[in-house]
Amino acid sequence: MTQTERPGNQTDVQKAMKAFVSAVRKLGPVHYQSCVKCGLCGETCHIYLTDPTILNLPVYKAEQIMKIFRRYYTFLGRFLAPWVGAQSLTKDVLESLVETVYGRCTACGRCGLHCSIGFDVSSVIRTGRTMLAEIGKVPSSLQAVVNNQITTGNQMAIPRRELLDTVEWLCQDLRLEMNNDSVIIPVDEPGRRILYLINPREVKFFPLSLLAAAGIFHAAQESWTISSRFYDVTNYGLYSGDDTAAAAITRQVIDEARHLGVEEIVLSECGYGFRSFRWEGPNWLGRAYDISARSMLYLIWDYIDTGKIRIDPSRNPERITLHDPCNLVRWGGVSEPQRKILKRVCMDFQEMMPHGADNYCCGGGGGMLSMSEYGDRRILSGSLKAEQIRASGARIVAAPCHNCADQLLELNKKFKLGVEIQSVTEIVYNAMVLEMAEQSEISNSDADDSFNVTPSV
Amino acid sequence: MQIGDKEIQFDKDGFMKEPGIWSADVAQAIALEEGIEKMSEKHWAVVNYIRKYWEENDLAPPVRLLCTENKVSVREVYKLFTSGPARGACRIAGLPKPDGCV
Repeated sequence: MTQTERPGNQTDVQKAMKAFVSAVRKLGPVHYQSCVKCGLCGETCHIYLTDPTILNLPVYKAEQIMKIFRRYYTFLGRFLAPWVGAQSLTKDVLESLVETVYGRCTACGRCGLHCSIGFDVSSVIRTGRTMLAEIGKVPSSLQAVVNNQITTGNQMAIPRRELLDTVEWLCQDLRLEMNNDSVIIPVDEPGRRILYLINPREVKFFPLSLLAAAGIFHAAQESWTISSRFYDVTNYGLYSGDDTAAAAITRQVIDEARHLGVEEIVLSECGYGFRSFRWEGPNWLGRAYDISARSMLYLIWDYIDTGKIRIDPSRNPERITLHDPCNLVRWGGVSEPQRKILKRVCMDFQEMMPHGADNYCCGGGGGMLSMSEYGDRRILSGSLKAEQIRASGARIVAAPCHNCADQLLELNKKFKLGVEIQSVTEIVYNAMVLEMAEQSEISNSDADDSFNVTPSV
Repeated sequence: MQIGDKEIQFDKDGFMKEPGIWSADVAQAIALEEGIEKMSEKHWAVVNYIRKYWEENDLAPPVRLLCTENKVSVREVYKLFTSGPARGACRIAGLPKPDGCV
């Protein structure tokens, strides 16, 4: 991959240095010089725990960045570099960072949560990604996805026609499933209340979550639309470390929302998509959004809580456990709605241990899923999650993140877990009961003077 | 993996490194890893369709075409290939790994 390219020249080192200085300013120098080398982070890292070599120790990974900081930002580092283990930035150093920052860290942030002094270990490691992105040393499989997003508006380079055809096809299925010919999946409708963003994976390979969302929106009589141009909730700029690309991807969506005149952007179940769009986006753009954005999970909980959709939990009789995607829960702060939802829509909900903000990464985060070169490590580091799932005794794993879902499918196969992986949206859709009013609407749907149906609340 | 007189190599995701040397025997061997003892007619229909589409377009087909062209429902596809269309069916069809969240 990129390792086959020649190391960068002096200009590359200067560019990387510039990116380093800017990253340090953004995160704050305190994060680069506070580490007391206690090593506690080793006990928190799924990669280290499943392969305890020093190369996988979070503090070791962060140290590769911190020693560059010492060289340029501290008195002793500047004048007595070898004494304090300070390291000048060279092309060889940059080259050696590739595996450390992309191949040995999923940026899940569990180390930072448990850090004895509370510095943000994984963001320090991500500084390495920012430097490498600046000089074009992002692993090519990861960079291909960023390029797709910039040039086509979606990470899988799905043509617009294909999106439209897929939506039409799904709509036909949905009509059959809901036994209602009036169901539509609105595309590019201006003036709707909600713009719903999806993961392109839902169009290309796994459309049942989009079908479920459309069914829920219909039942709740929501005013919504998807866009045929910029519907991608994801942002691989977060993974590659390229903040300029990340800002451009964010801007595409914000501009589209403004163009369609929606009141709110709702993000489908995608962990890093949520973190990127909800939290990192304003930083990348350098300003707050003038439009609100929230996770689909909050909206679904609102529908259930206010009675806009009716639920029969006996339709989900099997034990369900919940995976906590790092970017949604630990980084994004969305922990409650999915739990409230699952407790209402199934008969037997079982938490994993540990769970919530203290969860383990599934191993597929940080762009790991798209970098085949680290495939073995990805599966090995997911063994902790596999054990958690097995111990829960669940038959179904709710995964509110499409990226995690793919990794969990892999773990299911490799560790013979015998479970099904579903999005929360699908599980809710499965338990949804159509209102009597709704059903009478079906029989009256041809009559144009039929009454205006309001759901019972 | 040795199939006949050919040595088949895979990347660390289990996708073929040289998609060009794919054959029905290779497909069945990968299918076995996917827990498919013997590929049924439906398995073959989907896999052959993916292969043909890829050879013509250099892309994995979207699941819509997979379903409509082979008269299978989307829920059926997941039953046939428990790892899903990408890591299951496309892998058996000898394609390189598709980009992105798969």
